[in-house]
Amino acid sequence: MREVRIALVAGLALVGLAIGVELAHSPMTVARTNVTSSEEDRIARTVHGATYCQAGELLPRETTAIRLSLFAFTGPRIRVVVSSGGRPIASGQRASGWTSRVVTVAVRPLPQTVSDVTVCASFAMHDEALTVFGQPAPRASAAYEDHRALRGRMWIEYLRTGSRTWASLIPSIASAMGLGRAAPGTWNVLLVLVLLVTVVVLASRLVLKELS
Amino acid sequence: MSRRGGARAPGSTPTKRSTDKREDATSVNGDRRTQVGTRAFTRRARATQRRRAARRTRTSERGVAPIAARLRALSRRAGLGRIPRAAWICALVACLNAVCWSILTPPFQVPDEPDHYAYVKQLADTGSLPVSGREQPAEEILATLIGIRYFEVRQQPQHHAIATSNEQAELERTLASTPHDTGSAVGVARSQPPLYYALETIPYRLAGSGTVLDRLALMRLMSALFAGLTALFAFLFVREALPGAPWAWTVGGLSVALAPLLGLMSGAVNPDSMLFAVSAGLFYLLARAFRRGLDARLAIAVGALSAIGFLTKVNFVGLAPGVLLGLIVLSNRAARASGRSAYRLLALGTGVAFSPVLLYAAVNALSNHAPFGIVSGALGTTRGSLLAQINYIWQLYLPRLPGTVNDFPGLFTTTQLWFDGYVGLYGYLDTTFPGWVYTLALVPAGAIALLCGRSLVQCRAALRERAAELAVYAVMVVGLLALVGAASFKVFPKTDAEFAQTRYLLPLLALLAAALVLAARGAGRRWGPVVGTLIVVVFVAHDVFSQLLVAGRFYS
Repeated sequence: MREVRIALVAGLALVGLAIGVELAHSPMTVARTNVTSSEEDRIARTVHGATYCQAGELLPRETTAIRLSLFAFTGPRIRVVVSSGGRPIASGQRASGWTSRVVTVAVRPLPQTVSDVTVCASFAMHDEALTVFGQPAPRASAAYEDHRALRGRMWIEYLRTGSRTWASLIPSIASAMGLGRAAPGTWNVLLVLVLLVTVVVLASRLVLKELS
Repeated sequence: MSRRGGARAPGSTPTKRSTDKREDATSVNGDRRTQVGTRAFTRRARATQRRRAARRTRTSERGVAPIAARLRALSRRAGLGRIPRAAWICALVACLNAVCWSILTPPFQVPDEPDHYAYVKQLADTGSLPVSGREQPAEEILATLIGIRYFEVRQQPQHHAIATSNEQAELERTLASTPHDTGSAVGVARSQPPLYYALETIPYRLAGSGTVLDRLALMRLMSALFAGLTALFAFLFVREALPGAPWAWTVGGLSVALAPLLGLMSGAVNPDSMLFAVSAGLFYLLARAFRRGLDARLAIAVGALSAIGFLTKVNFVGLAPGVLLGLIVLSNRAARASGRSAYRLLALGTGVAFSPVLLYAAVNALSNHAPFGIVSGALGTTRGSLLAQINYIWQLYLPRLPGTVNDFPGLFTTTQLWFDGYVGLYGYLDTTFPGWVYTLALVPAGAIALLCGRSLVQCRAALRERAAELAVYAVMVVGLLALVGAASFKVFPKTDAEFAQTRYLLPLLALLAAALVLAARGAGRRWGPVVGTLIVVVFVAHDVFSQLLVAGRFYS
């Protein structure tokens, strides 16, 4: 059946094209961070709706996402607002249902860097506990909720599209993939590629044989 | 009875077709031979025959032929000869895909893998079951976890696996200097039965002289075999349950084989991998029994596989009521044809199935422990009203009913927890696609659902005839969903939905295969194979992009 062959070839070609497009894109990189290598601290924990703000931040130009160090098993809806002089200059929100130790919220990028901004994160909580991670700081510079100082400053990372494409990162990814395993070496990458190609070839041949 | 007697064996269609083809080929050759009929042709043919006969004699003298014949006889006796080649290829694809995932995913970066590894270690090193559910692993495991930066990387996608030769050298020094200590606390794995872990002691011991990472790599390969079995049984299930369009079986089998979540979980040390295979096997056996009738062999097979399920993972308890109902319905049918003696099959099946549970309870009772061990304790902690629990479990999967308390405000659980969890939540539940991918995935999922619905409407008369069989599958589904929901309800509201992880629903993969087969058939006789091809391509794309996502998250 010719249609099956056409559908398979077109479908796989589309997958190949999508991989090519993705490889031409650049992954997000950290433009600025206040995360230090020192031990993290739980600076706040809440089971109800809350808004935590942190002053004295710097919003780098072209920031497309803000990453906060939070933990929840079924994360609540989060809204992040960046203000300068009391006026919101960037904002974004993330729907509920995320689960991790960090949450990334996309924001509209600005063409220039803005200093001394305040970042506020609001959570629409129900019952589940949410923990905020950061680093201990004096009351004067700590993050706050309704003018009440928290135990320290929230860890915030500002992300933007990097200058290197995924394609240019392939050698370093391949090198890293060969480390930290039973039999280290770049051969691990080659094996994964061979296996993946074998899987696709076997599946395609079977489709052509059984469905045509 | 007449339907059972008249039913064509599922394997007969392709076998018949291939035999016909052979016959056709022979007759064509025969015709040609008579047509050509030259002396040269006859000489060449005779020479070829003589060479073949000589080769056969040499081979049989060497003893290969008897062995091959014996193997063929053995596989025929085991029923393996009747399994279509396509099913074996689906199994191979699933197996290779899981091996691929096992290499791609960094050591221990799959939910609870350190605990499951520790269970195997305890069993292999001491020969005894674990007693401690503490999170503190053995020194050997802890040193490895620190060496590979497990604690920094887990659930923190901003951190990556080790990436420099210095870190690698440090890891190798750690692995070489840490002595092999025996036994370990096993964390959350403590409540699990031991069969999967007992099997994993084989690769653990095979790599006994190596490091923790060597043993883990080999143990992951063993899990990958279960992915193959899962795909094989899913294929056989759709062959039995939906025999009408043989071409569509491949769509179901291949799609299951390429499911990335199956690859992730079967590429890791986790009893889920074996549970998926056991569950798919049970769906197959039940479908076979509904199609051909229950006999003693099938009753024992269902019972034995259920017993294996009970010994594999506690979650199997969710499927058990459905299996029991299936045996009752099938025995009733058999009784209508062959009298009350058919109820012996029910006794046989349930006796074999529940024997490990009863044995476990008896041993506990004799040693003055709770009959079902840690599970009894968990059952005892049930809290809240039954209505509140039912309401919670309903909302964990489906939209809230009017007039009920909203347990998940602002959260559409069906898509945000379950669908999104299927589309992409890898690593230690910390690796996700960008948000738009989940929205885009609704398009093919919606199209598949529509086509599947169309197919069901078209064959509604057949569905009515098979209502009892469908009810059995439905009870298995509801049982599993209720079990996961009840476990989540125990920690609610401290945690909204702790066990809302799509991997817990993968024991129902055989039904996903059936839904995909129905979707392909729903496109009609002409376009069905094309739609089936596109479904497989979607699963290929999903698998490939999921693997790229994981590579980018851990190694970029």
